[in-house]
Amino acid sequence: MEINRQFDEYYEKSYIQGGTACCPGCGGPLFWRMTLEALGPKTIIYGDGPCAYCAIRNIKLPNFGIHFSFVADGSTGILAALAAKGREDITVVSSGGDGAIGDISFGKVSAAAERNENMIQICVDNEAYMNTGIQKSGLTPFGAWTTTTPLGKEAPKKEIPLIIAQHKVPYVATTSVAYPRDLKDKMIKAKGMKGFKYIHTVMPCPTGWRFNPAKSVEVVRLGVQTWAWPLYEIEDGVLSLTVKPKQRPVEDYLKAQNRFRHLTEDQMRFIQDQIDTRRKRLLENDGNRIIL
Amino acid sequence: MSFTRMMEGNEAAAWGARLSRAEVVPAYPITPQTEVISHIATFIAEGKMKAQYIKVEGEHTAMAAAVGASAAGARVFTASASQGIAYMEEALWMPPGRRLPIVMCMVNRAMAPIGGLRPDHNDSLMQRDNGWIQLYCENGQEVLDTIIMAYRIGEDRRVYLPVAPCYDGYFVSATATPTTVPDQGEVDEFLPPYVHEMYSLMPESYRPRHFEMNIAKGRYEVQQAHERAKAIIEEVDVEYSKRFGRGYDGLLEEYACDDVDAVLMTMGSMTGTARDVVDEMQASGKRIGLLKLRGFRPFPTEELHGLAKRFHAIGVVDRNTSYGSAGGGVVSMEVARALYPLEDRPLLLNFHVGLGGSDVTMRQIGYMADKTLEAVEKGRVEKAVDWVELVDLGEVM
Repeated sequence: MEINRQFDEYYEKSYIQGGTACCPGCGGPLFWRMTLEALGPKTIIYGDGPCAYCAIRNIKLPNFGIHFSFVADGSTGILAALAAKGREDITVVSSGGDGAIGDISFGKVSAAAERNENMIQICVDNEAYMNTGIQKSGLTPFGAWTTTTPLGKEAPKKEIPLIIAQHKVPYVATTSVAYPRDLKDKMIKAKGMKGFKYIHTVMPCPTGWRFNPAKSVEVVRLGVQTWAWPLYEIEDGVLSLTVKPKQRPVEDYLKAQNRFRHLTEDQMRFIQDQIDTRRKRLLENDGNRIIL
Repeated sequence: MSFTRMMEGNEAAAWGARLSRAEVVPAYPITPQTEVISHIATFIAEGKMKAQYIKVEGEHTAMAAAVGASAAGARVFTASASQGIAYMEEALWMPPGRRLPIVMCMVNRAMAPIGGLRPDHNDSLMQRDNGWIQLYCENGQEVLDTIIMAYRIGEDRRVYLPVAPCYDGYFVSATATPTTVPDQGEVDEFLPPYVHEMYSLMPESYRPRHFEMNIAKGRYEVQQAHERAKAIIEEVDVEYSKRFGRGYDGLLEEYACDDVDAVLMTMGSMTGTARDVVDEMQASGKRIGLLKLRGFRPFPTEELHGLAKRFHAIGVVDRNTSYGSAGGGVVSMEVARALYPLEDRPLLLNFHVGLGGSDVTMRQIGYMADKTLEAVEKGRVEKAVDWVELVDLGEVM
């Protein structure tokens, strides 16, 4: 069939093979395709095991998969080996999920940022431990249902990109697969810089967020349009918002996912207030130096 | 040029890494290992050693970075001890399964809370199942030589396994002894650069590590590498001693074992004291010899079979504990399993001594030797497991 031939051709040229172990509607394969198109073939990917790796192990480029207590550490070793061999032409990417970077490997990412290791650190954030079956992580948002927060999470999401930015690294950015041009531009920019580059991407997860897998890109686009997931970059301490959509009510985003269906009107209003305040502060600081 | 001077064990270890031309050193400090990595940092700062030193934030990262660097084709050295080894345990399983010939000194120190800073062997012995080759050293010279040999063994295409030279904290790490540092050119001839034939992480030559779908096959592959390593450890030892004039008899050293009824088996620094005690006892007509267990992994079962026929009793000295075990310490259980298939096997005694780094005295060694000889005389073992430090030997400690 014509469509099959087109797929075959596409995957022939792509750096990622089709037929991943990811759930239907997972943003992973999409994200890695875009990322690797931006980074090119001279790339080594070191990534943590669970969800993110379901896509990583289909990557045709050199890759090294490991458990999620290992983030930014083996890639540091790879960089040292490359330095010992005088190889400066290779981009090293370290990838981790939200559970890895927000929780168990938090110290490792912080230490790699402090050492300013010359790698692109990616956080593939699906907002919970999805591979083990939807358990709360430090990056699960307020109110979200998971199997360990059956009544909704009480605490807010950790602001990892801002925490990493406070390490005075050259580049921090947030991305979304719903905005491919923005994502690729940020990857290309990161590739051209020396030092620790941190790119945090929202990863739609139909299985854990409880929505129709066909709606993945729509749901994360709503995240950006409602300002629940603002897209920005922090270059040498200066914040700039790269996408500034007209704000939609957060209800549109929350109601699209059954992980939020238990929320009361009050709780939704609370979330809306939080987002409004954050949006206001982001806009006020757009173009400003936010890292002291 | 080769030279000899007084040197602490930790400095000898740093020289071992330098002479082996380790290219990447990810390390985190812990007593009593610290001087190993600070000497290396100084070598690098002075331009005398060309290596990437990664100042990591914990042992888990140290081993993970070692894994990344080794997979990317660099020769890697690191060192740790005690709590540090325990903290990196998760990562310690990676190099054997991935067949990465990393060398890491395990500077033995007791585990908390019933421990302290001084040595016993539980920290390295609890890593016995994960696939690392473990070679126990008696003094600084042996540490230096073993590190160089470790790279030859681990990087041999028939082996491809990580190697841990283990040595007692303080007794070896911080005691200065005359140590000969071999000539760099000679070491270069003995130890060619590291090339991994099984896989590569470089974009132009990418070959991923192939993992067997049949897990038993994958495990058996590592087991076979250990079996092959036995002969290679002997082989490398012989070649090293021919070239440098110092050898260590591979996995198991016999000391004064001709014409004896029984032997003590020791590991690590206490062996030095035991040599003196055995000499004295033999001079007064007691028929006791000494076996120094150098290789705990792989375990020299076949060699022990050959020796066992010559002795009526073996007294295994365990500087470790294994609470609730089948009987005694880790080494004695290993020896018991090794000897079990023999029809005519020697009696087996087990002594716990030197726990938490308390001194193993000449009198204690004499006591253990006497008990072992007594078993030969009586034809049976009265006390299979003896906590020597709880016996009043009339010593002021």
